[in-house]
Amino acid sequence: MMRADSTGVGASAQRVGGYGRVTGLQQYLADIRLPDVLHVKLVTLDCARAKIRSIDTTAAKQVPGVRLVMTAADLPQPVPRFGPQFQDRPILADRETKYHGEPIAAVAAETKDAAEEAAELVQVEHEVLSGGVFSVADALNPASPLVCDPALRPDDPLADTNTRREHRFGWGDVEAAPADLVVENSYEFPMVTHFAIEPHGFMAAPDGNGIAVWSTIQHPYLLQKMIGQILDLPLAKVRVFAPDPGGGFGGKQNPKLEPLLAFMALRTGRPVRLILTLDETFQAVRRSSAEVRVRTGFKNDGTLVFEDFEANFLAGAYIDIADRVVSKGSYLAAGPYRVPAVRILARTLLSHLPPSTAFRGFGIPQVTWARESNLDEGARVLGIDRLELRLRNLAHRGEEFVPGDTPADGNWKETVQKAADLIGWGTPLPPGRGRGLAIGVKSGPTTGLSYSTVRLLADGSVLVYSGTSDMGQGARTVFAQVASEELGIPLERISVVMGDTSVVPYDQQTSASRSSVLMGNAVLRACRSIQAQLQALAARLYDIDEAEIEVRKGLVRLPDRTIPMVEVLEAGLGRLGGELTGHGEMRKDAVPDHPLGGTAAFFEFNCTAIELEVDPETGHINIVRHVTVSDVGRALNPIQVAGQDDGAAIMGLGHTIMEHIILDEEGRIRNIGAIDYRIPTSLDLPQELVSASIENADGPGPYGVKGISEGALLAVSPAVAAAVTEATGLIIRDLPLTPQRVWEAMRDSAKEAG
Amino acid sequence: MRGFQYARPVTVGEAVALLDEYGPDARLLAGGTDLVIGFRDGSIRPKVVIDLKRISELRPSIEHTGESISISACAVMTDIVEHAGVREHFPALVEAAQVVGSVQIRNRATLAGNICNGSPAADTAPPLLVYDAMVAVSGPTGARRMPIDEFIVGPKRVALERGELVTAIELPIPDPPIGSAYTRLTRRWGTDLASITLCCGVDGAGVTRLAYGSVGPRAFLVVDESGILADPHMSDDAKAPLLDRMFAEATPSPRSMRASPEYRLAMLRVLGARALRTAIGRLPKGSTT
Amino acid sequence: MSDMLQIEVKVNGAQRLIDVAVHHTLLDVLRDDLELTGTKECCVVGECGACTVLVDGRAMNSCLMLAVEVDGSEVTTVEGLATDGRLSPLQEAFLDAGAAQCGFCISGQLMAAHALLSRIPHPTVEEVNEGLAGNLCRCAGYEQITQAVLMAAEGGDR
Ligand code: FES
Ligand code: FES
Repeated sequence: MMRADSTGVGASAQRVGGYGRVTGLQQYLADIRLPDVLHVKLVTLDCARAKIRSIDTTAAKQVPGVRLVMTAADLPQPVPRFGPQFQDRPILADRETKYHGEPIAAVAAETKDAAEEAAELVQVEHEVLSGGVFSVADALNPASPLVCDPALRPDDPLADTNTRREHRFGWGDVEAAPADLVVENSYEFPMVTHFAIEPHGFMAAPDGNGIAVWSTIQHPYLLQKMIGQILDLPLAKVRVFAPDPGGGFGGKQNPKLEPLLAFMALRTGRPVRLILTLDETFQAVRRSSAEVRVRTGFKNDGTLVFEDFEANFLAGAYIDIADRVVSKGSYLAAGPYRVPAVRILARTLLSHLPPSTAFRGFGIPQVTWARESNLDEGARVLGIDRLELRLRNLAHRGEEFVPGDTPADGNWKETVQKAADLIGWGTPLPPGRGRGLAIGVKSGPTTGLSYSTVRLLADGSVLVYSGTSDMGQGARTVFAQVASEELGIPLERISVVMGDTSVVPYDQQTSASRSSVLMGNAVLRACRSIQAQLQALAARLYDIDEAEIEVRKGLVRLPDRTIPMVEVLEAGLGRLGGELTGHGEMRKDAVPDHPLGGTAAFFEFNCTAIELEVDPETGHINIVRHVTVSDVGRALNPIQVAGQDDGAAIMGLGHTIMEHIILDEEGRIRNIGAIDYRIPTSLDLPQELVSASIENADGPGPYGVKGISEGALLAVSPAVAAAVTEATGLIIRDLPLTPQRVWEAMRDSAKEAG
Repeated sequence: MRGFQYARPVTVGEAVALLDEYGPDARLLAGGTDLVIGFRDGSIRPKVVIDLKRISELRPSIEHTGESISISACAVMTDIVEHAGVREHFPALVEAAQVVGSVQIRNRATLAGNICNGSPAADTAPPLLVYDAMVAVSGPTGARRMPIDEFIVGPKRVALERGELVTAIELPIPDPPIGSAYTRLTRRWGTDLASITLCCGVDGAGVTRLAYGSVGPRAFLVVDESGILADPHMSDDAKAPLLDRMFAEATPSPRSMRASPEYRLAMLRVLGARALRTAIGRLPKGSTT
Repeated sequence: MSDMLQIEVKVNGAQRLIDVAVHHTLLDVLRDDLELTGTKECCVVGECGACTVLVDGRAMNSCLMLAVEVDGSEVTTVEGLATDGRLSPLQEAFLDAGAAQCGFCISGQLMAAHALLSRIPHPTVEEVNEGLAGNLCRCAGYEQITQAVLMAAEGGDR
C-alpha cells in the first residue's frame, strides 16, 4: 500500500500536518489564545418563533466581568443582513426570532463563567408566536404565516409564499413519451446535521484600522468579502485567519456568526471569542430534508423513457446556501442515464427551522434516494435485473446525458461492474440476506477560481501557498505531492501555507470536491512557471538555447548532461541568494445562459453495493458487506482517497439507518446534542467495508484526477433500502431505516397478509 | 457551569453530616458521569458537592464473603466487569455493566450511582432485581439494608431519607446456581441509552425471574413459579401468553423519541424470549427440573 | 469547603500544583489553565471521547470530571505520548495508516487506544472497535484507526 520510494503522485504519502494531529500540537481555532480576549455567549429563547418586545440587559451587565451585552439595538439600523445567496440573515434576530436557537443578544465577558451567567440573566420580553412552518406541508400551505418578510423580496413573484424559489429543468416532452410502464412514488429524506467533531468557532479582534477575524470556515475569502461589505472596509483591511477546520462537510462553508463577533470586537476594542457548543451547532447547520415525488417511465425492456421529478426541500428561516443546494442537486436528478425526456420541478421552502446549508453531497443524496429506489421498483415490476437495467441506460463516455452540459467523463460502466463484482452480484444469496446496488452522480464545481504561489527557496526547499481549507480531506498533502512531483523535491522539504488571507492568494472556496482539481492545477501551474524560470536560468548560465533545455522532476537536462535543479538554482541565484516564485491560476468560467451558471468541471461518479440481513424480529439491519466504488480519475494519494471514501460511506450509512433530527410540535429540536442524535460509532460499521477506485486518469485535474470525497455518500440510502427489500420483501420510502421503522413495515405487511 | 462548594469528607460520618445539613442542596459525587452533565445544563444546581471518593470505607472494592459479593459505592463498572467472582456468579450484571456507556464511562460510572440516579433506563437495575440485591445505606440514625426492589421507587426517586447515602450493594450468591442473562434494545450498536433493559434468571426449581426497565417509571421484577417459562422443552409459542402477562407492568411513554410504545412492547416479548432462552441455556447442567 | 482549591497532580510526568475553581472540569483546567489544548472539547456529555485522557492509567472523559477529583492522581494527555519529540509507535502507526483525517478526534482516539493496548497488548479487531466505541470520528476513518491500533500492537512494545 505504501510506496515509500516516492512522495509524488500516486504515493500514499503521510499526511502533511499529520504530526500535529497525532501530538495534539495542531492548533485548531479553539486552541488559539488571543491575549486579553473576551468570551462570548449567545442569548436565545426556548421557542422557535417569537416577537421580541424588549430586552433588558441590566442584570446581565451587573455580573462582574461582563464588558458588553450586545443586542440588535446596538447594531447599525436597519440591522445588516447577509448571506451567500440572499442578504436575508440578520446579524442578531431583528424584532422576531424565526427559529429555535436564533441569537437575540450576545454577552462578552472576561471569563466563560461570567458570560454564561450573564447570558442567562438577559431578560427578553417576548410573545411566542404560534403556528410556525415546520414541515413541507406547512410551507406549501397558503394559510401558513410567511417566514420571510415580503419587503425583503422585492420584485419576487413568490414573495407572498414560503417558496423561496422554484427551479425547473429538463428536456424532451415527458407527456408525450411513450412508456410501457410508469412507476410513481414519493420518497422522504430526513433532516440531519453535520456533527463535525470540532464545533464551529469564531474570534475577532480590532487590527489597526481594520479587523482580523478567525473562523473555522471553509471559505476564508468569502468571509473576507462579506465582512468587508458589512463593515464597509476595504478587503485589505479585513484579515481572515482560517485554521484547519476539524471537519467541515459543508457545514463550515458560509459565514454565520463572524459578523456579530466583528461588531463586538469593534465595540469593545478587544478580541472576542465564541466557541459553539455541539448543541448550538445543531441550531446552526443541517441538511435540508426533502420530499421527492418521482415518476419514471420505462419500456418493457427496461429502457428509460422519461423521468419526472417534483422535489420539495425544506430549508430554514434564512437561506444560507440552501437554494443553491436545491438547484444544483435537482438539476442532476435524472442521474447518469440516457433519458429522452426529463422534467424537474424543485422548490426551496422556507421554514421556522434552523438554516440548512451545504452538506456533503449537496442535494444529490436526496434526489438519488428517490430516483434509484424508483428504478428498482420498475425493475421489479418488469422482472429485469436491477444491475442490468442500470447498465442498459447508463451514459457512455462522451454522451451528453444532460443536454448542453459536460458529457459523461468516465467509463462509468466499469465502475458499476466493479461494484457488482465486489458484492458478488448474481451469485446465490445466503438465506435471509438481500443485496442492493445504486448509482450516484454529482457535478463538481460549475465555476471556480484558484490562485497559488509556489516559492522555490535558495536551498531547494519549497513553500506552497493556497487558500484552500484542509478540513481533513488532505489538501495540504495533495498540493505538496504535486509540488514534489513537479519539482522533484521530497515532501519533508515542502511546506504548505494556508489559512491567512493576508498571506495566501485568492481562492474562491473549498467545496464541491474541487480543490485537487482547481487548486491542484493552480499549484501545478505555479510549479511549471518555476520550471520555466529554471529553464531560462540554465540557458543564461550555460549559454544554451532555452529550447534545448528540459526541466523535469528536479532535474535540468541539457543536451550533453543533466544537472540537479538545486545546482542550477544556486548558481543562478548567486551570492545574494533569493528565490524563484511561481504563480498559478486556474479558472472555470461561468457560462452565461447555463441554468447553474456553468457546466460541471467533472463528475463524481460512484456505485454503492450492499449485502445485508435484517433481524426478522427486531428490524435491526446488519450490513454484511458495503462496497463503494468511485471513479476518481487518478488517486493522487490512495490512502487518503480510501479514507475519504470510507468516511463518506459511513456518513451515508448514518442518514440511511440512524440519523434524523426530531422536532417537537413547536419546531424545537428534541434530540439536540450527542445523547439522542446518533451517528455511527466503531461498533456500527459494516462487517466489511470495501472501498475501491477506478483510475483512468481522465479527470481535468493534475495527472488526470477528479474530485473525490462526496461520491461514496450519494447512493448509500437506495442501495441499503434495495437490499432490505430483497431480504424482507418490504419497500420503505422513508429514511432512516431505523429498527423501529423496519419493524413497523414488517408488522404492517404481516397485517395485510393476515 | 455555575459555581458550588466542594467537600471531600474522609469518613461516612462526615458525609452523612453534610448531607443532613444541606439536604436537597447537596449532591453526592462518585463517578459523576450524569451529575456533571446536570451541572452543565443547569438541571442540577447544588450548593455543595460531596465527593465520596476519599472516604476509606467506600473505596472501590468488591468483596467476596462466600455467601455474597459486596460492591462498594465507589466501585466502577470496569471493576465489576473484571471481577472474577462477579463474572462467575452474576454474568447478567456483567453484561449490563459492560454496556453502560463507553470504556471511558465505565471507568468512572459506579454501580451505586447507576441505581441512585433512579433512571428507569439504568442498565444494572434489572440484573440487581433478578439477583435480589440488597442495598446498604448509612444515615444519621445509623446503617440499614433494604432489598433493591424497595430501594428503587420511581423516576429519579429512590428510598433514601435525608442524610442517607448508599455505602454498598450486596449480591447474595444464588444457591443453587441459576442461569441468567441480560439484554437491551438500542438504536445503534454503539453506546446508547436503552429503550428496553431486560434481565432473566431461571433456577433449577423452575422459577423464572424477569426484570425489565425503560418501559415505565421504574424497572419491574416479576416472577413466574409455574415452571412453564423455565421449561426448555416448551415452545416459544406456548410460553408467549405467559410472557405477555409478565410484561403487564410495562407502560412505555408515547412521548419518548427513542422508541414508540408499540415497538417497545413488541420488543419486550422478543427480548424476553431471547433472554429466557439464553438464561435456560446457562443453567448449570443437571439442575433443570 | 471552598470554591477554589489547590490540587497536586502529575501531568504528563511533571508534578504540578494548580489552583482550580472547584466547579471547573478537568477538561477546562487542562485547556484553559494548563494550556494543554491537545485534549479536545466537543459534546461535553461523555459521548464523543474527544476529551479522553488517562487518569492513573485509565481512559476517562475529562469533560465529565471535576478537576479537583484528580488531586493526587497522574494525568496523561496526548501531549504526553511522545517522548523527547519522538513519536510513540501508536502515533507512528496512526500516521502510517492514514488514520488522522481532520484530526480533531484523534487525540481522544490515541488516548483510548493507548489505554486499550496497555490492557490488551494484542487485541482483535472486535476488541479495538469495542475499546474505541466511545470515540466518535465524523470523518469516519474508523477502518484506518482500527488498522493503526492493530499495526501498533503488532509492532510489539510501545
Ligand atoms: S467532550 Fe468529553 S466526551 Fe465529548
Ligand atoms: S479525523 Fe476528523 S473526526 Fe476523526
